[in-house]
Amino acid sequence: MDCEFVPSVCSYCGTGCGVLFEVIDGRINRTLPLKSHPVNQGKLCIKGWNLHEYINSYMRLKGPLVRENGRLEKATWDEAVNQAARRFTRIKEEHGPDSIGVLVSAKITNEENYLAQKLTRAVIGTNNVDHCARL
Amino acid sequence: MDMVKAAKELLLQDRVDIFLGYHKLDGHQIPHGFTKARVADLDQLEISLNRYPLEKIACDLAQKDPTLKIGILARDCSQRALNLLYTWDQLNPENIETLTVNCCPSSLSTHGDCSYLKPKTTGEYKKAHGIDYNDSPKDFMAEHDSQDRLSRWMYEFQKCIKCYGCRNVCPVCFCKECSLEHPNLVEPGVLPAEVPIFHLIRATHMAGRCIDCGLCEDACPAHIPLRMLYREVNDAVSDIFGYVPGDHIEKSPFSIIGKTVELTPAPMDV
Amino acid sequence: MTLKRIAFVQELLKFMGLEGRLHLEWISSAEAQKYVDVVTKFTEKIRNMGPNPLRAINEMKKAG
Repeated sequence: MDCEFVPSVCSYCGTGCGVLFEVIDGRINRTLPLKSHPVNQGKLCIKGWNLHEYINSYMRLKGPLVRENGRLEKATWDEAVNQAARRFTRIKEEHGPDSIGVLVSAKITNEENYLAQKLTRAVIGTNNVDHCARL
Repeated sequence: MDMVKAAKELLLQDRVDIFLGYHKLDGHQIPHGFTKARVADLDQLEISLNRYPLEKIACDLAQKDPTLKIGILARDCSQRALNLLYTWDQLNPENIETLTVNCCPSSLSTHGDCSYLKPKTTGEYKKAHGIDYNDSPKDFMAEHDSQDRLSRWMYEFQKCIKCYGCRNVCPVCFCKECSLEHPNLVEPGVLPAEVPIFHLIRATHMAGRCIDCGLCEDACPAHIPLRMLYREVNDAVSDIFGYVPGDHIEKSPFSIIGKTVELTPAPMDV
Repeated sequence: MTLKRIAFVQELLKFMGLEGRLHLEWISSAEAQKYVDVVTKFTEKIRNMGPNPLRAINEMKKAG
């Protein structure tokens, strides 16, 4: 049996608490707070304590799905991205760019958030961009 | 270092399959399971300044494989936790080898404040943050009247953000179903947690369990003086039941699973 | 065992500042008079102590 610990950063909110995953035989079994982390100093909230549950959840989305005839079907990334681009272009042409809003997330990195707002402002052409951690 | 040599011997002589200790990774002292296949890693074995519930990790491993032989780096509090877990049949003492290390080599760490095991002293971290909760329960009782005590505890409990960290980090919380998650006892989805019932349920369940390691207070984001509360619980248990949890391996007075009793068959009165 | 457990809960409640609100008594189904006495005495005691302070706190919390 193999048991190791992997320090990481909580993916829930923008605070960035240090967490420690207990990995037994390649599977994350438990989450502990990283005691030496300067941000959370060995403390976590209830979401952080239960990080391992969504990683192991059977409902977790592991690939793109595209809705066809009312049903979600597995698709490749190329198909999914092309479909999204096509639909967005159509909506923009029919209803104008302000009919689209983009909500970005604290779960992705700063750089990805920057890219998302760039896409919204420069490509879609709207200022409707917001962030879940903008309290 | 003697400790490294002893741990290596345990692994090489096949007395343990996995050895739980600490090593340094990315500048953090974190627990690690050392194995025979990578025995050279043991050169990096450390007595971490940060305490983690190694006994809880051992329980996780034992649940996956009950025959697994586990070696543990054990401080005094770990030893007490292990004794308690043997008592409650969560671990098999035959499968556990311990390497005892000195408890809290320095003032344990800025976060893991063990220094107030001595009553009336305040550790560095608590001093720096102006927290002075190191009264012994007896002094607290003597210095405050009942109204004071109630308002003080209600103040402490209302800070709770219901992270369940005290339970999650506790090395002796091993129940599969937890009363704190029972919707009839603690209303789910309400903040602050239902006071004081949430904390009192946990306090009563700590009776005969709490081994005073202080990990719960370390993990509490709201700085609730849980250790003092549970210490009072322990004092009451030792006064009333004459039982000190984790002191040595003995049957707990709180265990409801007792000896099997055979009733002698007797004719029924008609 | 019950005696000890109740003694423990009484001790905990005392530490919380809620002493005197829990009472344990053995009464057989044949001891009607004892039942009346115990209940009357305890009710009186509780009434003199006034309402549970937790209730005021919880109502305050609900009111915001």
